[in-house]
Amino acid sequence: MTSFNLNNSPFWAAVWAIVWKDLQIEKQTRQTISVMSMFSLATVIMFNFALEANLAAARQVATGLLWSTILLAGTLGLNRSLAIERENQTMEAVLMAPIQRGAIYLGKVIGITLFTLILELILIFVFIIFFDKPLWRPPVLLVLFLGTVGYIAAGVIVTSMTIQTRTREVLLPVLLLPLSLPLVLPAAMAVAAYMFPQTPPFAEVQSPISIVIIYDLLMLSAGFLTYHYVVES
Amino acid sequence: MLTIAPMIQINGLVKNYGLNPVLRGVNLYVRQGEFITLVGPNGTGKSTLLRIVATLLTKTAGEVKIGGWPLPEHAEKVRRYIGLVSHQPLLYGDLTAAENLRFFARLYRLDNREERVMAALKTVGLLARQRDPVSTFSRGMVQRLTIARATLHEPDVLLLDEPYTGLDQDAARLLDDLLRKEQENGRTIFMITHDLVHGLNLCDRALILNRGKIVADLPSSQIAPHDFLDLYAEHTGRHGG
Amino acid sequence: MELTRLNRNIRILNWVTAVALVIALGMIFFYAPVERTMGNVQRIFYFHVASAWVGAVAFFVALAAGLLYLRKPDRKWDTVAVASVEIGLVFLTMATVAGSVWGKPAWNTWWEWSPRLTLITIAWLTYAAYFMLRGAIEDEEKRARFAAVYVIVAFVTIISTYISIRILRDIHPVIFGGTLESAQGAEQGLQEFAPGLESTRMVITLNASVAAFSLLYVAWLANRIRLQRLIDQTNALKIRLVARLQGGNA
Repeated sequence: MTSFNLNNSPFWAAVWAIVWKDLQIEKQTRQTISVMSMFSLATVIMFNFALEANLAAARQVATGLLWSTILLAGTLGLNRSLAIERENQTMEAVLMAPIQRGAIYLGKVIGITLFTLILELILIFVFIIFFDKPLWRPPVLLVLFLGTVGYIAAGVIVTSMTIQTRTREVLLPVLLLPLSLPLVLPAAMAVAAYMFPQTPPFAEVQSPISIVIIYDLLMLSAGFLTYHYVVES
Repeated sequence: MLTIAPMIQINGLVKNYGLNPVLRGVNLYVRQGEFITLVGPNGTGKSTLLRIVATLLTKTAGEVKIGGWPLPEHAEKVRRYIGLVSHQPLLYGDLTAAENLRFFARLYRLDNREERVMAALKTVGLLARQRDPVSTFSRGMVQRLTIARATLHEPDVLLLDEPYTGLDQDAARLLDDLLRKEQENGRTIFMITHDLVHGLNLCDRALILNRGKIVADLPSSQIAPHDFLDLYAEHTGRHGG
Repeated sequence: MELTRLNRNIRILNWVTAVALVIALGMIFFYAPVERTMGNVQRIFYFHVASAWVGAVAFFVALAAGLLYLRKPDRKWDTVAVASVEIGLVFLTMATVAGSVWGKPAWNTWWEWSPRLTLITIAWLTYAAYFMLRGAIEDEEKRARFAAVYVIVAFVTIISTYISIRILRDIHPVIFGGTLESAQGAEQGLQEFAPGLESTRMVITLNASVAAFSLLYVAWLANRIRLQRLIDQTNALKIRLVARLQGGNA
């Protein structure tokens, strides 16, 4: 059975082994984060172009821009990280190890979440410079973190399926973007509330933040429990 | 270590892909320490059979037991005792040889990980290349590392799916030696191959699979290579070689 | 091939549904009272709520079928899930169109990007994508398995959407749920009826149309499942035919 003792349980040992392996690969190749960042920068510049360098307009939609960029860059990270497991059929070797399937799921979620969080740090920096928005506020960082967890939790389960289909990369955004919007909509509302100089009353952000947390918990459980149906045959 | 005999026990195994039957009632008993070679034309279900034993596929009907544990119910227990060499290397090309083995050592929660990784690299002659990414390796080196990966946790049952594909003569000879060593260590070996004569030379028992059924099952000591080729042609309507 | 003819029970169900729909229509137009502020346009309300209700039920049935499929992979659960998602999408579309027609006189716009309406559109996309996923997988068993997982994941978003609708501020009133919200919805002036007989008639009409639409859902589901079985039988026959022809040649 799953034990939540972090130090010495077989479950967490497997989770950390997978996270460690993904970090090791990233350290060697630096592909995932660099692809995600380059794509994000191009997207931000494209948005600026679309808004005709109208800084006032760009500022108004900055939080929406931030989330859109994260979502789109996230699909790249998800596809890349799960394609690694398909390249040499390494997933089969992982599946043959005496570990729970839920551990593989959680390991992948943690790894890709880490990459996306690094990307977000870069994006926050860029947005502060370009749009002069107070994105460094701790509640904003918290909402970004919570939103990312839920998004990647949904993303790992969906990408693990789409990567096994005929249309592969093409199918992922079609499935994942609608699935993640019920999470991103309240998350963007919460972030937007902090974009004014004065701190919003907690009552104003309480509802959206609790929806984000509920989504995270439900999606993590759904992914955890159904993952073996996705990777086994 | 699993000690219950037979090591692999298969009764009336059936596997369908959708409406297409692939395995139609396979019966097979493999004793501990036996080396089994399985041959048969393409598309007769050899890989399917191996993948079911490897816990990667679930059966449609019948009974499969490894070391007495029924599959797929006890797959998680059985996994500790089996190793697989597939036609794909199952290694991360971006990681080095040592990192690949370290990762699998962690997944299997082995003791003295570092020593075992180094010992395994030494056995397959890759100690000098341990810090090189697998993507820079030749086919033969990749296959040696694959064997090291599959045997790192000292499995009782070693499953091999066409391990000689794409190997040059030197690499093939090295693989022969490695397999003999594994057999001497008491492992049960179950190998699929295209090369009938070579497969017959290595094994204790040779099986011919055709159209989802085992049509011949004989000890290699009782059959000469050319008789085996005739038998293969007779059962499958094709010439092996 | 007893399936080639309409099953007796399905035939009865189809007739009962047809009669129920006619009765519900009659009630909506002749029995329900005229609402004070909106006038006759308000009668769309009965279609709108009943369709939305059936949509929600259909997706819940799909979720249950998905869970049952994963527990025991039997094709019939996959068939139920596909049929239910298909029907749910149709009803969700009907609810949206009816709501839009109603929204024009009520809010003076066909569409408002409020959280609730946005989320409903997203729910529609989520279930439309279900068919994209199915279309991209050739292996039947795998298609059914992935579709079952997807339907579970999709339902998570439906739960979030439901909670969002309940707790985020919105232009759209809440109809189902606690009496408090319903009372607030009524207060917002969308259903202004004289107390007593008129509002009772409205409630009765609403219940009748929800019941009739639910019957329509059940009948539709039964017919759709039968259709899927016919498709499966045809495919099985095709495979047998091909196998026999090949066997004859060999």
